[in-house]
Amino acid sequence: MSPGIFSRRRFIAGAAALTAASVVPIIAQSQFFDVPFVPTPQVVVDEMLRLAAVTPNDVVYDLGSGDGRIVITAARKFGAHAIGVELDEHLIYQSEESARQANVLERVKFLQQDFFKTDFSQASVITMYLLPGVMKRLREHMLQLKPGTRLVAHDFDFDDWRPDVKTTIRKNVFLWIVPAQASGRWQVRAGLPGGDFVFDMELRQKYQELDGFVRIDKLPGGVWEPKLEGDRIRFAVVDSRDRDNEATLYFRGRVSGGAMEGELVRGVGNQESRYNWRAVKVADVKPVGK
Amino acid sequence: MSSTKAHAVCAAVGLIACLSGIVTPLAAATLDIPTPYVPSTELNVDEMLRLANVQPKDVVYDLGSGDGRIVIAAARDWGARGVGIELDPKLVAESRERAAREGVADRVSFRQEDVLKAQLADAAVVTIYLLTSLVNRLEPKLFSELKPGTRIVAHDYPFGDWKPDRYVKVSKNFYLYVVPARVAGKWQLALAVPGSAREYELELKQRFQEVSGGARVAGGYLPAFEPRLDGEHIAFILIDENTSYRFEGVVSGAAMEGVVRWGAGPRQQQATWKATRVVGVSEG
Repeated sequence: MSPGIFSRRRFIAGAAALTAASVVPIIAQSQFFDVPFVPTPQVVVDEMLRLAAVTPNDVVYDLGSGDGRIVITAARKFGAHAIGVELDEHLIYQSEESARQANVLERVKFLQQDFFKTDFSQASVITMYLLPGVMKRLREHMLQLKPGTRLVAHDFDFDDWRPDVKTTIRKNVFLWIVPAQASGRWQVRAGLPGGDFVFDMELRQKYQELDGFVRIDKLPGGVWEPKLEGDRIRFAVVDSRDRDNEATLYFRGRVSGGAMEGELVRGVGNQESRYNWRAVKVADVKPVGK
Repeated sequence: MSSTKAHAVCAAVGLIACLSGIVTPLAAATLDIPTPYVPSTELNVDEMLRLANVQPKDVVYDLGSGDGRIVIAAARDWGARGVGIELDPKLVAESRERAAREGVADRVSFRQEDVLKAQLADAAVVTIYLLTSLVNRLEPKLFSELKPGTRIVAHDYPFGDWKPDRYVKVSKNFYLYVVPARVAGKWQLALAVPGSAREYELELKQRFQEVSGGARVAGGYLPAFEPRLDGEHIAFILIDENTSYRFEGVVSGAAMEGVVRWGAGPRQQQATWKATRVVGVSEG
């Protein structure tokens, strides 16, 4: 490591305000800079955007954009549109100047505002490097975003919301994919050749983690290997109606509000065949331990 | 697997200990306990072969092949060739009849022998459904005798030391292991970056598929980030002069080679790299 490159310029309108913020409640509540400006090393910036698989179709928001390096990298190296949200106006000026020099002004924007008040409805990727307390306050906010939105952070995570992917490239970098709401009691209808196979399924959800069971002809069974990634869901159910001809059905599909639909695979190897399935939510269940 | 296997085993004294997975060294060294014959259900067979991602070119070995159902399913449902190893001659005879009935006799064979003595060199996939004591005795044999890239699927009873590459639970527990290439030791690594050829001394440590290490360059050390070994496929990242170089390649004996990428998005660049083994170091 070459220390010179990553010198942590701890900057901020009055370093005193920062130090005081952690100590004096009145200043801390003034919502002035809850987060110090510590620039992210360029290799980590690259890794954050790579982990989020940013493409030119993405709109990237950086929370606390500092000197604008993430926003500018997203536009310059990945061809994305990017928006930086930053409270400090001097950093905004600096960012705009850097964007001009990097020739990406038309694809970037810097907003001088509190990111708790920002509208993220257009965001497909959100990047952040924030202290744990701020991450925690942001969590509920982020869970309300459009399913599939990718969130990337480094060093500090969302506490008990486990990342979908974690990599270590000098620093720990985390990716979360905002999950759809799949919890609830569902009636599933699979279009198998002998006639529709209909069963009840109850899914419980904690962030993107799912757990559940089915009732097939009133008999309980497992929901195996459930996975939720944005609005995409996968799970396996054993079709046990005919004890002499049991088979595992591998479901894949999308969740959209109170409905899910997709394709399932029955059988393996050259015995494999595909059918369509749909499900409707018939009741809500309490979310698990949030 | 179907399962099972009459097989190896401990004498009656050791039975209880073996079943509970606790074997005293003496018992392990000297005694044999029968492995009970408990057939896997069709559902379990399907899941094991699915997890192993069996291809028609594969030879699938089932250790403790019981009535032959896994071997036969591999040939019938996946188009592979199959070999069953089973100690009980009655089960071997039953397997052969079954294979003939299912029309796959030309693509399967059954050998009446001890799984611990079986020749497995041409296996692409090995399935096991054996008790812990036997699974643990097989672990070093499978790790050392199978080719890198060979997939092992264990049903219910995993290896003791070797962590699975994947774990799946569908009614029962299934564990997938991919036999890793041997990469522990020192390697001379060269890459042809346009404008400047670079050389590193790569040093790797290995425990089954888990690798760690780094590269020495003139006066410095670059730790390898995100090292991965999947059969003969290796990947790692070196950060040099503030750029992440992402290496991916294939290990083949005392050589590895592949592609290294750096930069991001549309600006990504790549070059080829090669490494040759300098000094072998036995794995930990």
